[in-house]
Amino acid sequence: MKYALRQTADKLFTVGALLAVVLIVAALAGILLPMIWRGSSAVVFRGTVEFRRMQMEQFGHGDSAAVNAELAQVAPIRQKAYEILDRFSAGLDTTELVSRIRQIHRQFGAQLTNREVPPDQYETARDLSRMLRDELLAALDAPDGALALPHLDAVLAHDQDAALKDTAAGAYFDIAREYRRIATSVDLPRREEYAQSLAKISEAMKGLLGPRPGQPVPEGGAMQRYGATRWDQAQQQLDQLLWDEQWVSQGPGRPLKKVLTPRAQQFAGTPLAELFPYVQQNAAAMLGPRWTFYGRFFTDDNVSSHYFGGVGPETLGTLLVTVLAVVVALPLGVVAAAYLVECAPDTHSTRALRTCINTLAGVPSIVFGLFGQAFFMLYLLPKFGLRRDSSIIAGSLTLAVLVLPVVIRASEEAIRTVPRAFREAALALGAGRLHCFLTVTLPAALPGILTGLILSMSRAAGETAPILFTVAVASGPVPRSLAQPTRTLSYGCYDMAVGDRIAMLAPHNLFGMVVTLVAIVLLLNAAAIALRGRVARRLRG
Amino acid sequence: MIEVNEMPQRKVLAAGTAAKTTDVKMANYVPQAAGPEQQLPAIIRADRFSLYYGSHAGVKDITFDIYPRAVTAIIGPSGCGKSTFLRSINRMNDLIPNTRAEGTLCVNDVNVYDRRINLANLRQQVGMVFQKPNPFPKTIYANVAYGPRLQGVHGRALDEQVEQCLRHAALWEEVKDYLDRSALGLSGGQQQRLCLARALATQPNVLLMDEPCSALDPIATAKIEELIISLKDEYTIVIVTHNMQQAARISDRTAFFCLGELIEYDQTKVIFTNPVRKQTEEYVTGRFG
Repeated sequence: MKYALRQTADKLFTVGALLAVVLIVAALAGILLPMIWRGSSAVVFRGTVEFRRMQMEQFGHGDSAAVNAELAQVAPIRQKAYEILDRFSAGLDTTELVSRIRQIHRQFGAQLTNREVPPDQYETARDLSRMLRDELLAALDAPDGALALPHLDAVLAHDQDAALKDTAAGAYFDIAREYRRIATSVDLPRREEYAQSLAKISEAMKGLLGPRPGQPVPEGGAMQRYGATRWDQAQQQLDQLLWDEQWVSQGPGRPLKKVLTPRAQQFAGTPLAELFPYVQQNAAAMLGPRWTFYGRFFTDDNVSSHYFGGVGPETLGTLLVTVLAVVVALPLGVVAAAYLVECAPDTHSTRALRTCINTLAGVPSIVFGLFGQAFFMLYLLPKFGLRRDSSIIAGSLTLAVLVLPVVIRASEEAIRTVPRAFREAALALGAGRLHCFLTVTLPAALPGILTGLILSMSRAAGETAPILFTVAVASGPVPRSLAQPTRTLSYGCYDMAVGDRIAMLAPHNLFGMVVTLVAIVLLLNAAAIALRGRVARRLRG
Repeated sequence: MIEVNEMPQRKVLAAGTAAKTTDVKMANYVPQAAGPEQQLPAIIRADRFSLYYGSHAGVKDITFDIYPRAVTAIIGPSGCGKSTFLRSINRMNDLIPNTRAEGTLCVNDVNVYDRRINLANLRQQVGMVFQKPNPFPKTIYANVAYGPRLQGVHGRALDEQVEQCLRHAALWEEVKDYLDRSALGLSGGQQQRLCLARALATQPNVLLMDEPCSALDPIATAKIEELIISLKDEYTIVIVTHNMQQAARISDRTAFFCLGELIEYDQTKVIFTNPVRKQTEEYVTGRFG
């Protein structure tokens, strides 16, 4: 009975342990996989012709002839969409028509004066022109097509008047005819609604295809200069174009409800209705999406605060800061550990020192950041002639202090576990303590020390708080010396995530940055693990 | 600084320091030509030597002479101070904190517990082989070359010395093609012979062996024993052992320690056949210990 109980307990223990492992793996997969999936879309995605144009113009990558040929190929297809849009919007924008009508009236008056028309004729012609103008304005003002038509017909009745032949007043009739067509086909009372919708449509068209050719390049950076560079973005813009999104109140205290109506339905019966099926069917032809491997993501600089481009300078900065921090921390840590193990007497002060080091490992990293700013950046480095400003060297030193406890702990443990027999053998052969440490203890402890190195490297690469004040900037040039600040991946992620709407507009770039950081940490670790493996194998024989 | 039996290679290196210190220069130990061993003067002399761990005495009042070119075995039950005494000779006990020595322990007429002694030099003169084989986690070559390199031997001379030491330790034929392999890949017996070669490479006069065969199987033990017998023509060997048969087989003289005191010290055959003290007789016949 007792035996059976013990067996059951053993099995339960096994199952529990297995469950814990499965849970950890699942949690890791649950966090990492979506992140990697989204991050990888920064590198592998369906790029459109806009992407290739952006790459060519901003970075000089790609074949300009091929891109231009592609642009020329899509231009007529896009042009047709623009034409549909133009034909519809002409009738809606009455303010422009009103000013044109008033202009015609003035031009006509000026013409009459120039021709030195007799006063009586002048009077009649001017009255006629004034009448036509007022009729047209009344027609434009009319809230309904039925009300506008009599006004328009009144204007068109003077179509053949001899007095108006070959004068500026002829333009009245063009406007009247055009507007008559609109008034019969378009539901004029919904003009306001149309105008609003049209603004959204134009916006979506701009997001999809970029600014119209021939129009001035918009202000506000490269972000406005290109259409959808990625096919997934294009899909979103297409949704904006095809669906009208409205938030409807459901009563006080209740959340607004999103209502989607197809714009094709909204514009049914108008000349614009044909735009939607056209754009939907020809979106691919207008943008030419193609699977793209954007390997330069890891080396390119960014454009428009990470809306376009890659994480090159960030990667470089992270590598620089991390490696430099470890290069500083490793010798210091090993020497400190050597002292603690080999030389320090076993006294209260030594024990206190050891406790301090252990405590230091748990101090919040922001404290190190402030320490680094106060000590390295503002006090120590200016003594060596550096500016009192963030610099790679200040950040690296701060990170070095941050990882020092980890390095000391790991090295101490590693040195302590070197068998005493090795040390005794070396001393018995007449080696001094230093020589014994350097030739026997240190090489034997190297795998353990490298483990500390791995841990500290991962920590240094991922930390944001210590570099916040000492080295990191969100944007700026690639550093030319160690006395300059740099961008880093960890700070870049933070800045992008809390900064502005870029993270929302280009989530792939944020996740791409995160994944790059993870990849760098893993790569550094893999390198250190490989090194440790080599060392350990050499020791084992 | 006191140099024990200064080595020829060592002279160049030590010349600078030797001039400054209050040096008590010892003449090289020159063994006299063949003859009865009793005629040779003792190389290690303990005179009322005691070593304390804190307040507890590891060995107390030891007085005996160890003669050169012979194997001296130290036997006794566990905890009787055999190893303590052995490790005092090259001052390996220094690694243990709070040790204190009284009396004198002379190697080649130099008191090793003199404050001015050159420890590195002493340990080069007095080599040691430990209970467990403890080769460095380095190549076979680097293991043997460790001592000579400390003395500044390089290049071809080093190669020759390594080969010679490995031949002395009867290991050369087995490892000559694998000198750059890790020493940890060798078998236990081979490792112990490598440690012996490594100890020989510093060209010591005295070899201390702390139960060198206790971690080995009988075949490896036999090889080491053979080796010890062949080496005694050139070296003074002091061996601590638990194995009384081994002591009887290989040693010329045997010391019996008990509870930190030297009970009896005489020719091996006397100790094993006709001991003076009753305690010794009980121990060697297996009735005690």
